[in-house]
Amino acid sequence: MAATESNRDAQRGASGQKLSFAHRWRGYKAHHRDTLKSSFSKMLSEPLQTMLTTMVIAIALALPATLYLVIDNVQKLGGDIESSTQITVFVRKAAKPEAITGLEGKLKTITGVGAVEYISAQQALLEFKALSGFGSALRYLEDNPLPAVFLVQPLVKDSVDLAQTNKIIEAITALPAVDDVQIDMAWLERLHSLIEMGHKIALALGVLLGIGVLLVIGNTIRLAIESRRDEIIVVKLVGGTNPYVRRPFLYTGLLLGLFGALIAAIMLFSGLQWMSGSMANLVSLYQSQYRLEGLGIAGFCTLMLLGGVFGLGGAWIAVSRHLRDIEPR
Amino acid sequence: MICFDNLSKRYPGGFEALRNVNFKMDAGEMAFLTGHSGAGKSTLLKLLMLMERPTSGNLLINGKNLNRLSNSQIPMYRRQVGVVFQNHQLLLDRTVFDNVALPLQVSGYPASEIGRRVRAALDGVGLLDKEQQNPMALSGGEQQRVGIARAVVHKPRILLADEPTGNLDPQLSTEIMALFRRFQSVGVTVLIATHDINLINRMQLRIMRLEDGELTDDGGGYGGY
Repeated sequence: MAATESNRDAQRGASGQKLSFAHRWRGYKAHHRDTLKSSFSKMLSEPLQTMLTTMVIAIALALPATLYLVIDNVQKLGGDIESSTQITVFVRKAAKPEAITGLEGKLKTITGVGAVEYISAQQALLEFKALSGFGSALRYLEDNPLPAVFLVQPLVKDSVDLAQTNKIIEAITALPAVDDVQIDMAWLERLHSLIEMGHKIALALGVLLGIGVLLVIGNTIRLAIESRRDEIIVVKLVGGTNPYVRRPFLYTGLLLGLFGALIAAIMLFSGLQWMSGSMANLVSLYQSQYRLEGLGIAGFCTLMLLGGVFGLGGAWIAVSRHLRDIEPR
Repeated sequence: MICFDNLSKRYPGGFEALRNVNFKMDAGEMAFLTGHSGAGKSTLLKLLMLMERPTSGNLLINGKNLNRLSNSQIPMYRRQVGVVFQNHQLLLDRTVFDNVALPLQVSGYPASEIGRRVRAALDGVGLLDKEQQNPMALSGGEQQRVGIARAVVHKPRILLADEPTGNLDPQLSTEIMALFRRFQSVGVTVLIATHDINLINRMQLRIMRLEDGELTDDGGGYGGY
């Protein structure tokens, strides 16, 4: 490979450039390094412009990221609550004790079911008497009006899993000796659709602001291209290829995107720190162990990746639109 | 080395800048291209730089037809050519050294090699002590010499100059011409577009005269067309 490259170079050596492939590669790497460095120092030499662009990018990235974090937290909180959701199974009044024992066994074998607790009719009556305050009224009834009850606890999951819960309910309803199954599904469904809507809003906002970031970076790069018009013309005249001309602008876009993402991450982190104090107070009132979830390593990496991609993409759009117009005349 | 074969260039709008131009230059030859402004000198140089494409006819460089080069091959071709501009086209945001280094940087030379060659080129034009200065701090003649150093730093086989002595006094012009002579002596093909009659008369060189896009006089008698 290297041999054919240098062969080709030798033929090209008609141009008076006898460079080996290794030489060329080293020069190429050095050029990338130098371009990165000079893009960086060019950005530092215009601190106000750089800061403004970076802040716009940071805010545009931080907004959907915040929304995403809020939804993420709500979802986790919803998961916590759901795990405390019980399915109440009312047993037929006529069921014999053996049937009840059999039912308990069957309930335990349903997938997705965690704990199963049995409350007999007598226990239910005692509880009712103790808690309701209608105890004396019950004395006038001939027999216990309350059925025996199983409290079924679905297995704890990270997120609201409505389908799973529905499946459990279906399975229980199909069992013999079951009179009725109750769960506060409406609440769960509401939470679920809220989260779904939140996801869609975050996505729509993300797409819109992403386009905004592309435009902002594109415009910054367009101005940079305009201000370096003379340089581009001279570089093209002395044999600079289009990728060579493009490179510094792509690096600038990439750096702007990454800086923006970094600042967005710092914004999110400090916002979270600011809120976590009052959040801790709030959850301690509810005797919950809940803690606010931050971006985490994966979230941070995703944010940086998005910043980089948007930066590079915006620069690419600007460069492919405007560099073509700049040809030596 | 350079061969114009019945070449014409018509611009959109109908203006015919060059009409059926035929000439040849051998490797290591030096010639003047002259004529009034608008006679087609700039167009001819632009064709040689591939800044323009001919409307008809062929332009052969070292036996290769430039019409067959795609746009992506233009940079590679330009690396074989050095150009000295009338307005020298130096970049004022960097030092003399960085200006001269540009053709080597775009070709991917390593830094050590660039340093060596740039200093050799600057030494050749007598400006080695000015390498860290800004071109703005130099006189007109010095700026033009920096432009020449940049044009030859990558050892091109063809050197084109567009009014290289345009704004210079006769003594500086003579110095610049002496520089071109040196490059010619090492085998570079040199084509100088100028309307500086005094300069042309002082030098015993082939003269090609353009009038309204036609080559009317090829003083050197070369070419054979």
